[in-house]
Amino acid sequence: MDILKISHISKSFGINKVIDDMSFSVPKHSIFGFIGNNGAGKTTTMKMILGLLKADKGEIFVNEEKVTFGQNCTNQYIGYLPDVPQFYEFLTPMEYLRLCGEIAGMEKGEIRKKSEQLLELTGLENANKRICGFSRGMKQRLGVAQALLHSPKLLICDEPTSALDPVGRKEILDILLSVKEHTTVIFSTHILSDVERICDRAALLRKGRIDTIGTLEDIRRMRGGDNIEIEFCRAGDAQMFAACYKDVMLAGETKIILEGKSESEMIEVMGRLYEKHLPICRLERLESTLEDLFLEESE
Amino acid sequence: MNISDILPFLIPLILLEFSLLGYTLWHILTHKNYKHGNRTLWIVITIVGMQFIGPILYFIFGKEEA
Amino acid sequence: MKQFFAFMKKEIIQHLRTGRMFITIAMFCLFGIMNPAIAKLTPWMLQMVSKDLEQSGMQISNMEVNALTAWTQYYKNMPIALIIFIIMFGSILTAEYEKGTLIQVITKGMKRWGILASKFFVLFALWSLGSLICCVITWGYSEYFWDNGIVKHLVFTAFCFYLFGLWLITVIIPASVFFRWNGAALLCTGAVFFIAYLVTLFPKVKEFSPACLMNTMDFMTGAADINEYTFAIGITLLCIVLNIILSIFVFNRKAIS
Repeated sequence: MDILKISHISKSFGINKVIDDMSFSVPKHSIFGFIGNNGAGKTTTMKMILGLLKADKGEIFVNEEKVTFGQNCTNQYIGYLPDVPQFYEFLTPMEYLRLCGEIAGMEKGEIRKKSEQLLELTGLENANKRICGFSRGMKQRLGVAQALLHSPKLLICDEPTSALDPVGRKEILDILLSVKEHTTVIFSTHILSDVERICDRAALLRKGRIDTIGTLEDIRRMRGGDNIEIEFCRAGDAQMFAACYKDVMLAGETKIILEGKSESEMIEVMGRLYEKHLPICRLERLESTLEDLFLEESE
Repeated sequence: MNISDILPFLIPLILLEFSLLGYTLWHILTHKNYKHGNRTLWIVITIVGMQFIGPILYFIFGKEEA
Repeated sequence: MKQFFAFMKKEIIQHLRTGRMFITIAMFCLFGIMNPAIAKLTPWMLQMVSKDLEQSGMQISNMEVNALTAWTQYYKNMPIALIIFIIMFGSILTAEYEKGTLIQVITKGMKRWGILASKFFVLFALWSLGSLICCVITWGYSEYFWDNGIVKHLVFTAFCFYLFGLWLITVIIPASVFFRWNGAALLCTGAVFFIAYLVTLFPKVKEFSPACLMNTMDFMTGAADINEYTFAIGITLLCIVLNIILSIFVFNRKAIS
């Protein structure tokens, strides 16, 4: 069953079409990466899912209920972490979570139990001071705690890691990974290593459209072939060998990269090396990363 | 004009103004960042305009929104 | 309802911890003391300058100071207190817009009317408390030095100004919802007051403007009948309710980002 279903939504700001007929769905219990450049429409899409912005066209369903703009009941299933969460800084984390819990309509005892549990999960259990003294990373972690407070079925994070240092990033990703069992996580990012680290599925967003979507393996496979990097022992060999191929790139004095070769083509390349009696230092098959894909998209 | 005439005004006014001044100075000294201006500026304004206008100016323009 | 109380608790903690509550109450106390104090000091100050004035040929008749003088000061000073109050609380909603603190609250399922209702309530409570404090202090001093008996319709006139202030304060919220920027919200509030004030300059339509409630001198001296303002009070109450309804109506349809 899909926790989130988006069908044919469009959104324009003035003449600027930000989202253009976008459709996709996210199955339950997965971590879904939402990849795109700055300005590709990630945040806009998320805000429409939350009912903070009104879609010009199309429908969004969360847990099979339709999202309406304004007063929307679907928000009870969603936990949201904005890119830079802003808190009432005169409150302490515990007080803030209590406020959130009361707004979400939770019971007193439940709020207490859940807050303590989440503050421990996010490593803030000893931070009893007011939020105004918090660092960026601490605020982001409190943001996660706040989003998970009412045990949402769907957790939406808008660039949760982009403003953080490597340690902070790892902490946030570990937290997201640890809640996977109970919650479906959607997070947008332009940091691809984050997606490769924790996501099961991903969608690539370009100019307001979904360009590629599927499991991480699917997406990688969608590209034609892999690149082959060959390092020769002598500079002359490299140039001579490079002359035999069209789609070749000289990556240095003794290094060439053959682009987009399938497995059979790779064997052919090795055969030719043998024929010409060219000794090599190294031959490597470069697996395509999301990075390549992303660069391709942006071109 | 008799001093006993103004005493009922003077005592609460002085108390009020000093508590306002004390509270504002405490607030300025315990906060590092201000919306506008810096610490020295606000201390000067608070003391010069201590008949309530200084503290009020600070709380409107100096104190950070939280 | 639970949401409303939770959010209101947050508002009260906010004003307590940021010192606004204290400053506001101190300000109203101060004004309350200043009103009779200025009245009391007026003859003394006149005496000081009268010597100079006599030389230039002006005669100062001996001025009679009574409770009426103190209450005249009250209605002169309260507009200043109101302006400070409005500037101080003008950012009550726009600050949250500008900072983005409302996003988490709304995505938690907070009903939007609850946000506005708690803000309205806090403004209402603070203005009521402040007016009451200021009024009681002025009354107490006047009673001690003079006799409040000569001031006619004291409660009614104080209520008129209180209601006028309440109306102007409730303009902040719809103005904030429309403009989302503190400066614009304040300018809008100022503009609304200016228009209301202009209306009072035309005798035929002046009762349609809440600003006419500012003129209470005639009631205090007994020169006018309080029933004259029944209509104006009705209009002002209506305007307050309209402000509340309008802001909730617009806020429900606003995108929040």
